[in-house]
Amino acid sequence: MLELRRVTKAFAGVPAIDAVDLTIHDDEYLTLLGPSGSGKSTLLRLIAGLEVCDSGTISLDGEDITYSPTHLRNLGFVQQSYGLFPHMNVFDNVAFGLRHRTHNPIEDSSEVDRRVKAMLDLVGLSELGQRMVGQLSGGQKQRVSLARTLVTEPKVCLLDEPLGALDANLRERMTVELRKIREALGVTFMHVTGNEDEALAMGDRMIVLDHGRLLQVAPPDMVYREPDNVAVARFVNAYNILEGRVSDGAFLQDDARLPAAGAPDGKGYYAIRHDAATIHHGSEPPEGAVALPATFVTEEFLGSRFFYFLRLDDGTVFEVERHLSREDPIHLEAGTRCMVSWDPRNALHFGADGNRIGAPAMKGAA
Amino acid sequence: MADQTVPAVGTAGPARRQSGFFARHSTWLLLAPGIVWMVLFLVVPLGMMVYVSFWTQTTFSISSDLTLQSWITFFSSETYFGALLRTLKIWIIVLALTFVIGYPTALFIGQFVRDKTVQTILLVTCVIPFWTSFLIRVLAWRPMLGLEGAINIVLLRLGIISEPIEVLLFTELSVVIGMVQIYVVFMVGPIAFMLARIDESLIEAARDLGASTWTIFRKIIFPLSLPGVVVGAIFVSVMVLGEFATASALSGRKVNLLGNIIVTQVGSLKWAFAAVIGVVLTVIMAIVIGGLLRVVNLRREL
Repeated sequence: MLELRRVTKAFAGVPAIDAVDLTIHDDEYLTLLGPSGSGKSTLLRLIAGLEVCDSGTISLDGEDITYSPTHLRNLGFVQQSYGLFPHMNVFDNVAFGLRHRTHNPIEDSSEVDRRVKAMLDLVGLSELGQRMVGQLSGGQKQRVSLARTLVTEPKVCLLDEPLGALDANLRERMTVELRKIREALGVTFMHVTGNEDEALAMGDRMIVLDHGRLLQVAPPDMVYREPDNVAVARFVNAYNILEGRVSDGAFLQDDARLPAAGAPDGKGYYAIRHDAATIHHGSEPPEGAVALPATFVTEEFLGSRFFYFLRLDDGTVFEVERHLSREDPIHLEAGTRCMVSWDPRNALHFGADGNRIGAPAMKGAA
Repeated sequence: MADQTVPAVGTAGPARRQSGFFARHSTWLLLAPGIVWMVLFLVVPLGMMVYVSFWTQTTFSISSDLTLQSWITFFSSETYFGALLRTLKIWIIVLALTFVIGYPTALFIGQFVRDKTVQTILLVTCVIPFWTSFLIRVLAWRPMLGLEGAINIVLLRLGIISEPIEVLLFTELSVVIGMVQIYVVFMVGPIAFMLARIDESLIEAARDLGASTWTIFRKIIFPLSLPGVVVGAIFVSVMVLGEFATASALSGRKVNLLGNIIVTQVGSLKWAFAAVIGVVLTVIMAIVIGGLLRVVNLRREL
């Protein structure tokens, strides 16, 4: 169990990580989502010991490791750039940690041989042990880098945007494989990514980070369905977010009054998922639905679904997602006037501070 | 689409045929200037040197009758063969010292200084002595090393020694000191360049895998800087093996290297004998460079 208590780090006075509390359990897949500059790489480097925190403590299984040097932490760090040793072949790269670590190096070469081969088998590179790393493809380098870290049996394996440099096809294969490898070894993975789909798909739990603060720590379906904060709703990239004012239990959007029971008066945000809204052109919105007039802009075809882009009368872009398994596509000319509607029970309300109305207060120790 | 491409091929055809000669022989045409240059200024002179080394040399004249006499004289004479051994000895010592002094300097510039601007400034600083002439740099050691030179005066005044140290000037030691000072920068440059190219993430990865600083140096940093060491060693070797000026200026002509002998032989118009030494030097350099290149595959590393 890895615990962070009020971990803080600033670069030249600018806070990068701001009083972060986090508990990482054994044997779980954790994804860390944040936009670039949110401090996610810094958080990873603090845990790995490649940066030293200004204040706060980091402990591993009850032992304080805040100031212990990187090479004595027994945490694995898989770098985005892989960091493979160019003068060694794949086998020697993977064997490096076992042979040369300060603590408990393995002298017996047959033991090194056995462990490295087993790890190369696991990541599917058993044939490539004698290749120099310069002769590998991006995906293979990624696996070597992963194998090199995992063979040392770290308590927690930190992955810095591990799929960032791979092409889309490989990326999908590696997502499945990363989960498989992790389950085979039972080691905790902490996977940093800027891609919301990746974060949602891979994690048992998901952390959303922005401006050096944790916004939400929860299972991905919770983060997706009930984002604690309007910023989280933005990062998962699945919500239309309207900005406006609440008065008398109604959210004011232009002339329309959207029901917002329970929301306090004042500035607020109103969010509706892309796939919870429908477009009406030549048909009436159903009974009880909320509807707003809009202008059709364009559509985007994604194979199994369509994205429609509309513009509300105040200029806000409104997206509607339509799954072809549920409905047939509609085709509208750009500039067509239509209505968008949704069930008001699906809407989320956020207060002036960005926190969701009705969300439990954010507790650091998740 | 297809209608448009057909006439396009038709018009391109004749144009291509006109430039056919140049297109077909472009590789050789581009190589020609280089080949001509190398033949005129490398192959022919080398051949001449080998040829002249077999000429017959008498005191006042030289004839093109072939003989082994100059070669026999070289290898049987204590003076000349001794100069060969002395050259090799000084080369080994200077090479070792430039490495021992140059590597830590390069390590500091290439690895400990992470700021590219500061790196450049430090490397330029290393080259500043080259702004003065070679001869001045060599001769400047005389007032430093002499019996009443700066070093002796300072040591005497400090009371560390009571008699001036005599071996400092006009000995092999002074030649070695002078050469190391002049050539060490050729070791620092290539090594610092290779060290600065090492990606920080490699070192972080090694540290994260549990390696100590010393292990990281042995297993990662040093092997990756080896091409720089080899290039630096080639620079230093080529220059030291052919050296004559430092030796004559700082040894009072007591230390004769192969280069010095060439100078005196040419001075007394003994071309055949000078050619023998030229061939010997060329062979030694070829062996040294060949050997150094075997240490590391430069083509792969650079």
